[in-house]
Parts: sequence; C-alpha cells; structure tokens
Amino acid sequence: MTRMTRLKLAAVALAAALASSVAASAATKIDFYFPVPVQGALATEMARLVKEFNEKHPEVEVTAAYTGSYDDTRLKTQAAIEAGKPPAVALMSANFVQEFVIAGQIVPVDDLLAENGGDPKTFLDDFWPALRGNATANGLIYAIPFQNSTPLVYINVDHFKAAGLDPEKPPATWAEFVAAAEKLTVREGDRITRYGFEMPGSYDYLGWLTQSFAMSNGGQFFNVSMPGEVYYDQPSTRGAVQLLHDLVFTHKAMPQGVIDPNQVSTDFFAGKASMVMLSTGSLSFIRKGAKFPYTVAFVPRNLRNAVPIGGGSLIFFKGITPEQRKAAWVFASWMTSAETLGSWSRFTGYFAPRKSSYDLPEMKSFVAEHPDALIAVKQLEFAQPWLSTYNVVAVRKAIEDEVQAVISGKKQPAEAVRDAQRNADEILKPYNEKIAHVTVF
Amino acid sequence: MTTAALSSLRGSRRAGTRLGEWDRRARPLLLLLPSLLCLGAFTYWPIASVVVDSFFGRRLGEKVASFAGIGNYLRLATDGKFEAAALNNLVYAVLTVVPSVALALAFALLLQRSTRFTAVLRALLFFPTMIPLIGAAALWTFLFLPTVGLIDYYIGRLVPLSINWLGDPDTALMALSIVTVWKNAGYYMLFYIAALQAVPGELVEAAILDGAGAWQRLRHVILPQIAPTTAFVAVIALIQSVTAVDHVIVMTHGGPNDATNLLLFYVFQTATELHDSGKAAAATVVTLAILLLVSGFGMRAFERGAAHAD
Amino acid sequence: MRINGAAVAGIAAAFAIALVWSAPLLWMLVASLRPDSYGALDIASLWPSGPLSFENFREAFESGDFLVCYLNTLIVVAGTLGVQLVTVSLAGYAFARLRFPGRDLVFYLFLLQLMIVPPVLIVPNFKTVTALGIHDTLWAVMAPYWASAFGTFLMRQAFKSIPRDFEDAAAIDGCNVIQLLRYVLLPIAKPALIAFSIVSVVAHWNEFLWPLMAIDSPGKRTLTLGLATFVSGAEGAAEWGLIAAGTLIVSLPLLAGFVVFQRQFVNSFVFSGIK
Repeated sequence: MTRMTRLKLAAVALAAALASSVAASAATKIDFYFPVPVQGALATEMARLVKEFNEKHPEVEVTAAYTGSYDDTRLKTQAAIEAGKPPAVALMSANFVQEFVIAGQIVPVDDLLAENGGDPKTFLDDFWPALRGNATANGLIYAIPFQNSTPLVYINVDHFKAAGLDPEKPPATWAEFVAAAEKLTVREGDRITRYGFEMPGSYDYLGWLTQSFAMSNGGQFFNVSMPGEVYYDQPSTRGAVQLLHDLVFTHKAMPQGVIDPNQVSTDFFAGKASMVMLSTGSLSFIRKGAKFPYTVAFVPRNLRNAVPIGGGSLIFFKGITPEQRKAAWVFASWMTSAETLGSWSRFTGYFAPRKSSYDLPEMKSFVAEHPDALIAVKQLEFAQPWLSTYNVVAVRKAIEDEVQAVISGKKQPAEAVRDAQRNADEILKPYNEKIAHVTVF
Repeated sequence: MTTAALSSLRGSRRAGTRLGEWDRRARPLLLLLPSLLCLGAFTYWPIASVVVDSFFGRRLGEKVASFAGIGNYLRLATDGKFEAAALNNLVYAVLTVVPSVALALAFALLLQRSTRFTAVLRALLFFPTMIPLIGAAALWTFLFLPTVGLIDYYIGRLVPLSINWLGDPDTALMALSIVTVWKNAGYYMLFYIAALQAVPGELVEAAILDGAGAWQRLRHVILPQIAPTTAFVAVIALIQSVTAVDHVIVMTHGGPNDATNLLLFYVFQTATELHDSGKAAAATVVTLAILLLVSGFGMRAFERGAAHAD
Repeated sequence: MRINGAAVAGIAAAFAIALVWSAPLLWMLVASLRPDSYGALDIASLWPSGPLSFENFREAFESGDFLVCYLNTLIVVAGTLGVQLVTVSLAGYAFARLRFPGRDLVFYLFLLQLMIVPPVLIVPNFKTVTALGIHDTLWAVMAPYWASAFGTFLMRQAFKSIPRDFEDAAAIDGCNVIQLLRYVLLPIAKPALIAFSIVSVVAHWNEFLWPLMAIDSPGKRTLTLGLATFVSGAEGAAEWGLIAAGTLIVSLPLLAGFVVFQRQFVNSFVFSGIK
C-alpha cells in the first residue's frame, strides 16, 4: 500500500467515524414524564425499559423523569406546559386525558398513525373495549393505553378456610361479602386483632374504589359523554357509601379512618386483614410479599358486575418540534407493542392493554402458572371507563373528602353525597356554563 | 491588622469628599439599592399584585383573567375548605407554639450550664432543626404507621394503642404538630439558653436569700427577665405555624377530609391543583393580613416585655 | 457547686428526653443500614439486626438521582449566600451609619420581609418569575432571597458595635465606602458574617415550597425536591430502609457540619436572635 493510499484510507476512516458520531449526536432528544402509582419497584423497571429502548433506537434519546404519583405527574406536566416547556410524551392517568383535551394541550395521534401505516379506525380494536372510552375524545385518538388495572379483591386463603368459607367460591354479592367480612373479623375482648376487610382511603385510590362500588350498585357515577356531569347524589352512589359506612360501624369488619395503601398491604401480609381491595397493578407486589396462599376475586356486585378501569396512557403534547413528535411516536410505538406491554404486565400485575399480548407464548405460559393474573383479566369483561371530567382531580376529591368523613365517623352517607354533589357542581360550573352558552362567569 | 490596612490605603487617595453633597445624599440610596430592588421585586410588588389579582379570576383552561369584584372573597367566605383551613391553622398554632416554647424553656432550664455533657444533650435536641421539614415528614410518616411504625412498635406493646395518627381526622392535625414541635423546640431552646445565661446572677441570689424556692424564683425572677425572649420565640413559632406547610403537602395533603388543611396549604392547593387563580390570590391576601396582625401583636408584646425586663 | 438531688434528677430527665427525642434519627440511621425487606414487621426496631450493609445508600443514590440534586442545592446555597453577603453588608452599613430622610420608613419596609417570607407569596412570585423568563431555573429559586432583612439587621447590629474611630481614620485617608467595608468593617464583623452564613446555608439547603413552585425539570431539582419525589416512589414499595437512606443522604452534610462546627452553629443561631 502506498503512503498516499494509506493516508486516503485513514481519511476515509476518520470521516466515517466523524459521520457516525454526528449521526449519534443528531439523535432527537425527548423528555418522558412517568408516575409510579402502585406499589412495587416500578420506577427502576421503567428506567431499565427506557434504557433498552435508547439502545435499540439510537436515533431517539429519551430522558425519563420519574414524577411521583398520578396526581403529581399531572401537576408537574401542567406546570411544564404553562412554562412553555412541555415534555414530548408522558404517562398520564387515563382519566386525566379528557382534561388535557379540553385545555387544548395534547394532540391526537391519528395523523401519526396514518403516516406510519396504521389505521385510526381500527387501531384501538386490539385494545380491550373498556379502555377506549378514556383513550378517545371527539372521535380522535388522544391516548395510547400503556398500563391498566381494575380493582381486585385479594383473599387470604388460610383465613377463609379457618372461618369455614370456601376460597374457591369467594363472595360474589354485597350480602355475601359483608357476611364474609364479619366472619373473618377476629376480636379479643374489645380489641379487633384482625379485620375482615381493608381498603385504601387515600386520595385517588378512594375515589376509584368508591366508583367501583357505585357502579356495582348499578350507577353510572359520571357522564361519559359530557365532562361536566357527575352522579354523586344518587341512590346508587349513596348506597355504595352506605355500604362502606356499615362495614365500619355496623358490622365492625373494616377499620375506621383513612388507611394508606401501604398500610393495607402491610396488614394483608401480616395477617391482620383477611380481604383487601387493591389495584391489579399491585398483583406482582402482593404475589412477592405474601407468605401464605392467597387468591383473588371480582369486586362484589349488588346490581351488576361493573368496575372502572384504572391505569395510565401515553399522551403527546403540543408545543414540541415535528422531529420530537416523530421521535415520541417511535418511542410510544415500541412501548405499546404487544411484547413490551406483555412484559410490563408480567412485571407489575397491570394487565396488558392489548388483546394480542395475551396471544404471545410468554404470556400464555405466565397466565397458566399464575391463575390470579387470569382472574384479573376476566374482570375486564365488566370494566367501564374511569371518572373523567373537567378539573377531574378537584371533582374526584369532592367525593373523596366526603367518603373520608363517613368512614371516620364524621358524617352520614346521605349528607355526604349531597355535599359531594354540591361541591362537585360548583367546581364544574365554569365548564357547564360554557357549554350552556352562558356568557357570564 | 486594621492599622496595616489603613496604612495601605493611604496611597489611594480618592476625591470622595470633593463630590460632597450629591455623593453623600446618593450614598444611602446606592447602598440600599440592591436590597431594595430585590425586595421590591419579590416582596412589595408581589403584595401589591396579589391584592389586585384577588379581584380578578382565571379558571382552568382560560387564557385571560376576568374582573370578579369581591366575588373571590365571597367564594372564600362560603368555602368550607377555607373555613376549615383557617380554623385548623388557629388550632395548629396553639398546638405548636405552646409546647415548643414550653419545651424549649424546660430544656434550657435543664441544660443551661455549659458542660461537655450538656453540650451533647443540647446537640441531640438540636439535630432535628438541621434536617429539612421534608426529611422530618418522611421519618415521621413511618413512625406514625399503625402496627409497623415505630410508635406502635414500641409503645403499642405496653399500651393497647391503635391510633391511625395520620388517617384519623381527629388526630391528624396533632400528629403534624408533633412533627413541628420535634423539629423546632431544640432551636428555640438555644435562644432561651442565651437568655438564661444573661440573667443577672445577683437577682437570683437575692431571691435565694429572700427564701424563694426554685418554682418561685422561676416565676418571679427568671421568667420576667427572659420575657423578651419568650415573646420573640413565640412570634417566630407563630410565623412558622403559618408559613411552613411542607409536611402537610407530603404527609396528609390536607386530609383526611380537610382535617389538616392549613391556610398556606389551601393557597397552594387552590393555585396548583384547582387552578383557581382568583381565589388563591384572595386566600393569599387574607393570609398576609393574618401574618401582619400576628407580627404586629408580637412586636408589641416583645417591646412590652423588653421594657418590663428593665 | 452544690450537688443536690434536684439537679441530678434534672440531668437524668434531660438525658431521658434527649434519648426519646433522638429516636427518629436513631431509627433513620439503623434502618438505612439494614438491608431492606419490605413487609417485614421489624422494620421499626432500633436494634441493628443482622449484617450492616450500605446497599440502601447505593440504591437510593442511583434511583434518587441525588448527585444531580446535590449539585443543584450547592449552586442554590452558594449563589444565594454570595449575593446576600453583598446586599446585607451594604444595606447594614447604610442603616448603621448613615442618616437620611425616611430611614425609619425604609427600616420598617425591610422588617416586612421578616414576616412576609417568600413561601407565603408563592402565587404572585410564581407569576413574577414566569414573566421574567426565569421559571424552571435555579435563578428563580435564589432570586427572592438575594435581599435579606434578617442579614441586614444582623450586620447593622454588628457595625453599630464597632467603635467609630476606625471609620474616622479611614475617612481621613480618603477611603470610599466599598473600601471601608472591605478592608475595615467586614473583617471586624466576621463573626456576624459567619453567623449569618450558617443560618442562610441551613435555611436554603432545607427549603422546599418555593423551589417546588419554581422548578419543574427533574434535572434541576434540589435535594429537598429530590427527596420528596424519591420518598413518594419508595413508599409505594414500602421500602422504608430506602427512605431512611435517602433522608440521611439529604441531611448528612448539615448534620456533619453541625457536629464538627457545633460551637459556631450554636452561636450563630443564638446570635441571630439577639436584636
């Protein structure tokens, strides 16, 4: 090789190296905000997932930021939008999507879908029907479901057997449920050493569970087609709140006061609560921590089986560059592929939003090994959209504060739901007046 | 050292005095300007602007504020949450100020002699002041956990407690007060120690000669002497009770059922979660008014106490 | 010194109280060194059980992004103090030595800031920093504190207690104010400066509400914001050992600083109270 040739080769090699480094640094950078709303080591796993994506797709560089609970993530995202620096994509609680649509802060993905060979009309067909309500608005697709859940009853099998109950036939109606809870409660004189039933009373959780009970009591809870209407002061909701009140004060099978979700799972593990109601999202956490045989059951029905879905979806914000939007789409497509959704579901206990995830071999064998996961999926048949209105957090808190008062012994259910309705209506007023074409604010 | 500095300056004569009148007049302004600019931007202007804003309103999804007159104040007056916040803050103020001051005095009385032993104890009592209120909140959240938490784990064995500290509307506010007292009592103790050490020894000795017992000495000699410190500490504690809500944000978020809603938390929640800017401004104005009132009384008490001590 | 029963009882009581008082911090230490096992019922035990491990610290540091938070907090604390030292020296001197019309009024205006602290003004201040374009920057966290009424009064007291002879001599030599401060007054008033610095550092290291309003980007979080986020996630997994480790990570520098410079710390806090 002549010296000239060697120099040329070196130059070419150098140019190639520079070109590749330039290409690498030309990766589109996007920010991704995500919450961890249930128990488990989800933040670490999400970080791992994002790292995997970044390695597989060098043209996109995702910076994932853990932003607290669903409520916190909403706050932080709102603040970022107001400051003019929104993230490209965020994992948002499914019931907040409507609010972002109303405020004009997020963009639908129909065009991105079409551009990339998808069909907006059939895209959501692969997703469970119950999820579609919270994912669309005005006929457009605004959110791609990533993790979903329903409330689930977790049962301590040993306690059931000891109390003469059949764990294979968990309580299916309210009446059976109350009876079981009473039977399972253990008293030592005046003190209760084991509660038949416990459920979280904290913000976000309580509203969700209240909605489950209201819906199992035949109620709609809110107007899916109109984000300004909630049905708190209705017999169905009132009956649900009355059930909770009675469990605490009449049957004395549920502790008084607001209980933190961690408290609930700790008590379950410690054998101080025989039945608990938690999200299916905590399924893996419970599976890992329970040192006794347990099983899961549907939320009991009074008039019908109906539960709200929970969980989060990926949404995309206005105010980002077209390149960032394309990059966000690449990221979201990967995250919501059947494989990724399946593996996330197996790790967490959330169910995979895509039906096709359950056709994959890994999922089939997992479900065969873990029948509790299957029961969670079966309840999807009865799943309904989650409370989603204008200013939903405030509207949700309106009922939560009242239910908290009821289970703390401060209010009676009738007064509580009346106050909740009044407060919620006050919060919804600005939206409703706009819809009703009232010009005065 | 100073004479050396002075002599080194002898060389740099500056015609400062020649500019005379203008320079001397402008000097205070120039010296105060940096501070005044900052205070103007972040204290005076905000006060004025929030008062003005309280007469306007902007809700979620709107881009422009619209005039609301006294509407925001009326809505504030009829808002159960605000009522709860105001009432709670009053209770919380009492629950934090009284025990903090009392404990601070007690600690100071016990540890006023400066020995190596008391230095260690003082340090232990003062440690909580060093960690952020957020940190204290994280620790105490665990402590308050029923069954597994520290309190139930140790005390719950001796006494059949089953208090859901943070989850019961009846105890939540008290729980938060405990955190605050734990954090601040050691800090206030320091002021009392300095004050006790400044009490003229002759007065105490005279009282002993008069046959006064320890309790009487405390009541009639020591307490009046340290009255200015008591007023000072009380005012600080009162201001703290209005302005420090970090623990509310992370421990209870105002709940359960507004049992721990406090004025500043109400402002925070109304602004950031309910997106009701007009109401948040109105609530801020009310809070400011209360703060000014409290401080005003505090200053008066302090001055009276200082006069008394002489 | 007479040793009487009351004194001994007093010391014993103080000892017992200090022990109970330290329980939360003791738990923090023990739990952070205990390898985690969520759901365990003995997490509250104050006796170290089993092998000590730094696993919690390693995991907390990694997942909590505390390195970034440390950087941000150091910037905030240093940046705030740096500017404060200038403004309080200048203003303190003005109040201590100069007579000018409206001095009392301005004095009371300064006093206002002692009570109307920035956290109370989060609503309008948020508007201000957004309008100034510094929202979501560390500047926004620092700016409201660059003037300090507390520091100003402290320096005023310190300067007032310096005999006028020094300034008279300097005036004869033709010093201007800056030189006077720099070479004469501030060196003498060093204890006050140190006292103020300690109080300022501690206050801004531990601040939460205003940074919460001023900062959005996770990359700009200070230690307190990082801790709040970290705790809310770890609580979900009931990883109390991790939470204890995280809290210790955030508090360690101040606690350590206090232990080493105890006298300075105590004096400065006491100093700060004496008008």
